[in-house]
Amino acid sequence: MRASLERTGGFAGMRLTSTADTDKLAPEEAKELRQLVEAADFFRLPPTIASQANQPDRFQYKLTVEDDQRTHTVMVGEAAIPPRVRPLAEWLTQYARRR
Amino acid sequence: MSAISQGAFDGGSGHSCNSGNPHCTHHRHAICFIIPPIMLRNIAEKGDEEQRTLAFHTLAASERFRGQREVLSALGIVKSLGSPGEKLRTIYDAKRGTTLPGRLVRSEGKKATKDQAVNEAYDGSGATYDFYSEVYERNSIDDRGFRLDSTVHYDRDYDNAFWNGTQMVYGDGDGQIFQRFTRSIDVIAHELTHGVTEFEAGLEYQDQPGALNESFSDVFGSLVKQWVRKETAEQANWIIGEGLFTSRVKGIGIRSMKAPGTAYDDPLLGQDPQPAHMKDYYGGAEDNGGVHINSGIPNRAFYLAATAIGGYAWEKAGKIWYIALRDRLRSTAQFVDAAKVTMAVAGDLFGLKSKEMKAVRGAWQKVGVIK
Ligand SMILES: [Zn+2]
Repeated sequence: MRASLERTGGFAGMRLTSTADTDKLAPEEAKELRQLVEAADFFRLPPTIASQANQPDRFQYKLTVEDDQRTHTVMVGEAAIPPRVRPLAEWLTQYARRR
Repeated sequence: MSAISQGAFDGGSGHSCNSGNPHCTHHRHAICFIIPPIMLRNIAEKGDEEQRTLAFHTLAASERFRGQREVLSALGIVKSLGSPGEKLRTIYDAKRGTTLPGRLVRSEGKKATKDQAVNEAYDGSGATYDFYSEVYERNSIDDRGFRLDSTVHYDRDYDNAFWNGTQMVYGDGDGQIFQRFTRSIDVIAHELTHGVTEFEAGLEYQDQPGALNESFSDVFGSLVKQWVRKETAEQANWIIGEGLFTSRVKGIGIRSMKAPGTAYDDPLLGQDPQPAHMKDYYGGAEDNGGVHINSGIPNRAFYLAATAIGGYAWEKAGKIWYIALRDRLRSTAQFVDAAKVTMAVAGDLFGLKSKEMKAVRGAWQKVGVIK
């Protein structure tokens, strides 16, 4: 399984990207990532989670998960990110910084 | 409670859309939503962050046109509102969580704390209030004493600062790339100016109106810094977010208004993506259509106008931009509209054949917005 994040916007307007592949992660990390994707119920999320109000300087996220059969992408603004999806976004943000 | 709510909404019809409101032609704007008072009260009490913000926008807009500001505090959305001519700052600590506003740590008139971020947020919002008050005779964000709330230590490793519609929020940075966001006074003034823009032109946060929204925040962000330092347009460095990067990053700041695209060039971060001219305009979808990217174009136009006029940038160029934002720009304004409006204001204030008018026209021509 591969999970990727693209974060754009924010005060600095910088792009942050990361892709984590469970085949290349340490076993514990791979397990952790799978659990986060499952906890987010990722494949059932709508492709776009609309924000009611566009708050200035907030981040925009594009999250993609691919496994054997399927690929799903979700676009969401920081203020509208569902609580169950937030840990996955945070994990991938940390992963981006580590490289 | 219901009596207060009904008073603000035409005897309880619940329609907050005022026919005198120019924003009402745009369905995306919160003011045009129809929300019964009872629902607004529920939202104010139980809604999530975004719902509370939306409720606030609706109420703020309604309040703006009818002068019933007490509704806001009665609903508990804004805890208290300032009196005319009063500076009211309140600083909260999110303690690395994401619940807003967090714990109260310093209010107006209280002495400095040991926490630098708290003191920077306090001093920076104070300087911004003083700037708007003394230079443009504006009483806070709404020109009616809006309380200035700030939250510091938001989230963990949070590389950002934002305005959520009711308050300013600052992260500590991740320590690898960014330090805490209160370090730069122009960042604080940038966030507060998002509030001013929301109450005035109401520029949509998307594409060219969004890039103008960003640019006005950078313009007044930079002017507050220049005003505090008493720098002329020539002396100022026109860098936004100077001192935010750690020493590991190759860059002087986040953006350069003088030379967009040159603020940083770093192996990890890449190069500053801002265009300095319309020929390099970013047409992609990221960042709400490049609002933090294309702002380089109007930013440079302001720098060019200010340096052509000379002296303190807040006195003439800043005044032209401020009146354009306050009285003349529509929420859907494009770059060319901003050019026309700032030229018209320069003509009104200084004369059609004035040096100031020519400086403004020349600036927009040099960045390729007009011929
Ligand atoms: Zn901004």
